[in-house]
Amino acid sequence: MSHMTNPLATPDQLYQRRSFSSLPAELQDAIIFSSQCLTQAAGVLLQLPQSATAQANVILARYWLVEPFMSHEFSDISAASLYLVAKLGPSPRSPRDISNVYTYLLSPASTLFRSPPSLPPLRSITSTTLSESAYQAFHSRILAAEARILYALSFNTHVSLPHPLAVTYLQAMDFLGVRKERIAKRVLAYLNTALLSPQMLYLTSQPNALAVAAIYNAAKDVGAKMPECEWWEVFDVDREELGFLVVGMRSVEGWARKMREDVPRLGQGMISRRTVEEEMEKKRGLGVGNGSGGGQGGGELDVEAEMARKMDEKMAEMEGVA
Amino acid sequence: MASKAKSSRWADNEADAALEAQSKKEKEEKKRLKAEKARKQQIEAEKQQQALEAQAQARAEAATPQITAHRQKQQGDELGDDDSANGPPVKRRRLSPERDTRATDSPAAVGVAPDSSSNTKLLRFEGGAFGRCRSVENYDKLNDIEEGAYGWVARAQEVATGKVVALKRLKIDPKDRSGLPVTGLREIQILKDCHHRNVVKLQEVVVGEDTSKIENIFLVLDFIEHDVKSILEDMPEPFLASEVKTLLLQLASGVAYLHDNWILHRDLKTSNLLLNNRGQLKIADFGMARYVGDPPPKLTQLVVTLWYRAPELLLGAARYGQPVDMWSVGCIFGELLTREPLLQGKNEVDELTKIFELCGIPTDESWPMFKRLPNARALRLPAKTPGAATGPVIRAKFPLLTAAGVSLLGGLLALDPDKRPSAKEMLAHEYFRQDPKPKQEAMFPTFPSKAGQERRRRKRTPNAPGRGEQAVDLGAVDFSGIFSGREKEERGGGFSLRMV
Repeated sequence: MSHMTNPLATPDQLYQRRSFSSLPAELQDAIIFSSQCLTQAAGVLLQLPQSATAQANVILARYWLVEPFMSHEFSDISAASLYLVAKLGPSPRSPRDISNVYTYLLSPASTLFRSPPSLPPLRSITSTTLSESAYQAFHSRILAAEARILYALSFNTHVSLPHPLAVTYLQAMDFLGVRKERIAKRVLAYLNTALLSPQMLYLTSQPNALAVAAIYNAAKDVGAKMPECEWWEVFDVDREELGFLVVGMRSVEGWARKMREDVPRLGQGMISRRTVEEEMEKKRGLGVGNGSGGGQGGGELDVEAEMARKMDEKMAEMEGVA
Repeated sequence: MASKAKSSRWADNEADAALEAQSKKEKEEKKRLKAEKARKQQIEAEKQQQALEAQAQARAEAATPQITAHRQKQQGDELGDDDSANGPPVKRRRLSPERDTRATDSPAAVGVAPDSSSNTKLLRFEGGAFGRCRSVENYDKLNDIEEGAYGWVARAQEVATGKVVALKRLKIDPKDRSGLPVTGLREIQILKDCHHRNVVKLQEVVVGEDTSKIENIFLVLDFIEHDVKSILEDMPEPFLASEVKTLLLQLASGVAYLHDNWILHRDLKTSNLLLNNRGQLKIADFGMARYVGDPPPKLTQLVVTLWYRAPELLLGAARYGQPVDMWSVGCIFGELLTREPLLQGKNEVDELTKIFELCGIPTDESWPMFKRLPNARALRLPAKTPGAATGPVIRAKFPLLTAAGVSLLGGLLALDPDKRPSAKEMLAHEYFRQDPKPKQEAMFPTFPSKAGQERRRRKRTPNAPGRGEQAVDLGAVDFSGIFSGREKEERGGGFSLRMV
């Protein structure tokens, strides 16, 4: 049975991360989303099968539910999870290959995260490879991050993906009477998109539910006729969970588009810890510097920040006295 | 497009419907709980009443049997009354499915339109949760058990519970720039997934106190007193036939579980079989194990300790599967009978020689695919001359084994992997049904514990091949001479006594 199940996030873990992280929710989402995109892009360039890359996505999401975001560089955690999953599977990749791919993806030559994506791709290899010492440093960071991931997950690297289940379900339903490739492609697209979701759908639902929700969405998209009855129950999914997942999967695209507009930094390359720190600084700075001239209509936010600052000062005073 | 509009409208509907379904479900659930509570109270009351009555009965029985009869009748009547007043009696309720009782118990439920979703039983998949490792400081070390090629193993006690466990340290080479060893990680993952009485249980993985760099990783395993290898070495008399059967059955059942779950062990041997003082055998050491698919992927041939390595591995097969484990099981079978490893080759070529001596020379009939194996082309085999004995001599080597035993052993040691029985087939083999029957585990003899106190002796067995070693290219090897001696022997008597 373990081939069909995943360890899931506990409500407590989800709540803790949302409520007690030092980062605001939208920054957390941005970090997760862009790291997952980076992992996917690296998986493609490393010519890993999507099954391996998808597992790395899930491992990455689990890791950040246990460990704080800022303890390692985001791209290092992404690289380490990919390295780890590839190593355990049938298609291992050398640290050197991973280093080359990540160096390229993080360099200005890469079109990932950069809009407009019209820059000439990969002009010269030399500009996107690391010096030997930089490579050694990267290598050491990956190994440290790998051990950290394993520690955070109690060495449980098991990931069951919904993709094969979805295909089996489609077969059972005779592909809903539409062209096989058409609906199957759409189903897999939904499943792969869900990997990027900041809602971390793969940590809240078992593979069978993800598979059914993807089929539901895909069938709606291609206009396939679904059985009249509550067919999802055949696959042990209840209506409520299906509804949640259907909306969750559909919202990823729109959410990503909106976030790209809201956080212009995302269009200038992969976000790093430094980006996040700067962003946090800016937020604090706005409140302190010019309370009224925030520009982006952040009046309320400024008031809040101002209050937080005052409280900080008060605390500092009290500590100073004590 | 229309589909988009439809979908968004649908999304609203879905949300509404979900909400509606949820509230309906909650109501149903509340109703059900209430009914259940009432029922429970009723059962409780009935039970108490019955208990009281039983007491009274017991007392009355001593006095007058007549009254007892009367009482019983009365009790029956009372129960009958219960039935009509508050619902079916306890006995009948247990038999009927829950859904029916709900419908009859709560008349309100009948009024609600039949909602299939509230009635269907959906399977819930439990995958557990994830979280950080605990620290090794939760355990007190008692004594070292073994330090060898597998790394360090110690007996330890969990501080909180007093439970005795085995701590196995994952061997990590700090100079290895590929990070944590993949074999160790695979072992952990496979053991985590395995839950079977004949597979050693991994309780958790703990790490050293300093978590800033993960260097000390320990597997917390069930502590098992013995391994089969050291028992065999020390026992003055071999195992009884009934004991061999018990051990083999347990081994086969463990292997069947692994194979059912797509796991190849790839290092089955007596020193990896643990035996506790209650006669329970557990398969251990999954350092070579891995998940495989069907068809099997290309795998390394450098697996399984030489003496237990199947001929197709020695001949360089890149695609192999469960039969390699079954070959090892055959070797273990032989070893349990004689207390000596069956095929103690000095190197790959010598191992192959010993195999051919015991099991015969591969022919087109006995192993059709043989010629296509990478290392088979270079082999020079003795020409097949009519009358010359080049077949298996298992029967002669194990004169005390019954015909069924020989057929099982011969099957496991079939040169052609496709002809070996699967672990499941082995479990159903005639051998285990014949007398003497397998001995009950609880009746197993106990052995003085070595792992308990002292350090285990270093094994004479060769170790499993290391990762990254080069597979041996057998080169051109001449096997044509291996049967020359045998022919002379055979010519002697012309017949042989068979002992059963």
